[in-house]
Amino acid sequence: MTHEPSTTDQPAATDQPSTTEPPATSAAPVPPEPPETQGPPETQGPPVTGAEAPAEAVPPRQRLHPLSPLLNGARSLVVIVGAISLSQASSFGWERFAILLVVIAVGAVVFSLINWWNTGYHIVGRELRIHDGLIWRRTRAIPLERLQTVEVRRPLLAQLTGLAELRLEVVGGGKTEAPLAFLTVADAEALRERLVRLSGDVQTHDQLPFAGTPPAVESAESYPRNDLDLGFPLHTVRNADLVLSQVLTPQTLLLPLGVASVLVQFSFAGDFNPIAIFSTLAAVGGVMLAPARRVLNDWSFRLADVPISGEGRGLRMAYGLLETRNQTVPLHRLQAVTVTWPLLWRAKRWMRVRFSVAGVAGPGDGNEQQSDRLLPVGDAETGRRLTVLAMPGLDLAAVRVAGPPPRVRWLHPFAWSRMGVGLNRTVFTVTKGVLTRELVAVPYTRIQSVRVVQGPIQRRMRLATVHVDTVGGAGAEAPDRDVHEAWALAAALSARVHAAQAATM
Amino acid sequence: MDAVTETPAPLDSGEVRIDPLSPWPDTVEWKPVSHDLIWVELVRLAIWLVILMGALVVGWVLADHWLFGAGVGLVLLFGLWRAIVIGRAVRAWGYAERDRDLLVRHGLLVRRLSIVPYARMQFVDVTAGPLERSFDLATVQLHTAAAASDAKVPGLRPAEASRLRDRLTALGADRAEGL
Repeated sequence: MTHEPSTTDQPAATDQPSTTEPPATSAAPVPPEPPETQGPPETQGPPVTGAEAPAEAVPPRQRLHPLSPLLNGARSLVVIVGAISLSQASSFGWERFAILLVVIAVGAVVFSLINWWNTGYHIVGRELRIHDGLIWRRTRAIPLERLQTVEVRRPLLAQLTGLAELRLEVVGGGKTEAPLAFLTVADAEALRERLVRLSGDVQTHDQLPFAGTPPAVESAESYPRNDLDLGFPLHTVRNADLVLSQVLTPQTLLLPLGVASVLVQFSFAGDFNPIAIFSTLAAVGGVMLAPARRVLNDWSFRLADVPISGEGRGLRMAYGLLETRNQTVPLHRLQAVTVTWPLLWRAKRWMRVRFSVAGVAGPGDGNEQQSDRLLPVGDAETGRRLTVLAMPGLDLAAVRVAGPPPRVRWLHPFAWSRMGVGLNRTVFTVTKGVLTRELVAVPYTRIQSVRVVQGPIQRRMRLATVHVDTVGGAGAEAPDRDVHEAWALAAALSARVHAAQAATM
Repeated sequence: MDAVTETPAPLDSGEVRIDPLSPWPDTVEWKPVSHDLIWVELVRLAIWLVILMGALVVGWVLADHWLFGAGVGLVLLFGLWRAIVIGRAVRAWGYAERDRDLLVRHGLLVRRLSIVPYARMQFVDVTAGPLERSFDLATVQLHTAAAASDAKVPGLRPAEASRLRDRLTALGADRAEGL
């Protein structure tokens, strides 16, 4: 904008920052970094000039593990084979099919090898830089202050080879923006610890109270764990409970009924043709996929409390049977917590707790692959303890909610007694649902905006809906409140947002 | 969970009092948008009507089916109703800059009010299409990190739009958090 008057106004065509010496910008782009940047903290800032010329004394790029092209190739091979159906293969001739497979496999591995050769990462100051691409080179710099979650994933193949994938989530991407696949487990663990520490908002990664605490997880299971857990163990979900919780789902409970009806039909028809039986089995498999996947994904779910940096704390979840995941979420990144009480779990007084983080698609997308469980299944006491920890100020036993006015009964004959809102000390809570009860809690510090919406029918009935928008997930919604109450609620919410904001400054 | 307290429980902190005679959003000093926006909206409506009618008439001539005639009638009716309502719709737009947040309200059929704290602002857009430019208007839109937030103020004079933009960015620069 403000060009220096000394250069006789040549508008923006020749940017020569070396001569003009702009007074306002503090980080002058040209001088190469001070020579004593041996990795640690003080680099803080000066933007890199020209991504392709790392002339500064930055730590050297590191490559991913040499086996990763093989694994990535195998991964893409699976996809391709899945695309070519087996029926096509048989019409093809098996020899040709085998040759095709080999060609594809070699191609995929060569492609991954080239990719691997050109991929590198290093930590510069408080940034993680990832270089990749052969033709379209790309350097991605991720400021670690913006880190939302870190996850160490180990798919089955990676478990067999002792490797792991490190995934970073930042705001602004629907998908994972920075997967580092693959590293050795030790490297992934070390890198994760370093990133998590750097991600704290103060530069105190030397004086962390926890330096070499041994993993304190009681390991009674025969499960081949990757011991990435450091930190104070909070809770372990019993696998028996997990299995039972998935048995107590509509799919599983209705399954015998469906199978029985099919069998009765068979017995009346009198002939057992194999195709019918096979298709029945396939249908059973399809129905059972979701519960079975949940059991596999959440197997041996463990939760630990880890220090991030300074007073910062984070939660670490480790779970999975075939693919193990190990996820670290700084507590100040939690945008919302959703507690669900399914109908069939009510006899056991169980609940499920999920969280949403910016940058990760939130709960309610029906995507079982998401890592959003804080507690896959737990009793009331455990749930209460963990939600208090994850979201200070949210005490499930003490949440009070106010219902909508009684005239709403005409709009929601069943649900109206369950629709409630509550302004707690630090969180806003909304409840809903008759069969599957749900509670959404959003801390005031994470509310992005508040909206009051009034449709035509609502105007006739003097009602309005209050929406609370958050970054991840669907936000919270208080439908059909009395219109005056809705205005007051919106005002109270914005006042509390400001108060919470002022408190954190 | 079970204990549902009395209805005005959310107001326990005493920050807000419900006064049924002057409910809260009316006590805020709302600024209207420029009435020239009516013309912008009318021209926009006319363009749409012409396109739709053209397509329908062509269809009618080619296919000679009574449904197309009915379609023409419906579109005309809708256009007429919309043209009558536009004036009120534009007058329903309003915005208010409070100390720490921006309020925007709009809509007749579905009434909406958005409250966006300045601190949650990610960026501000000022846009002006050819139609708006010809009436010397601009639109300011405030974006937060949440996709659902909508805080859009159309029909501002360019001077007012840039003033609003500058004020928003200045206030938002203090601290952007909440992620």
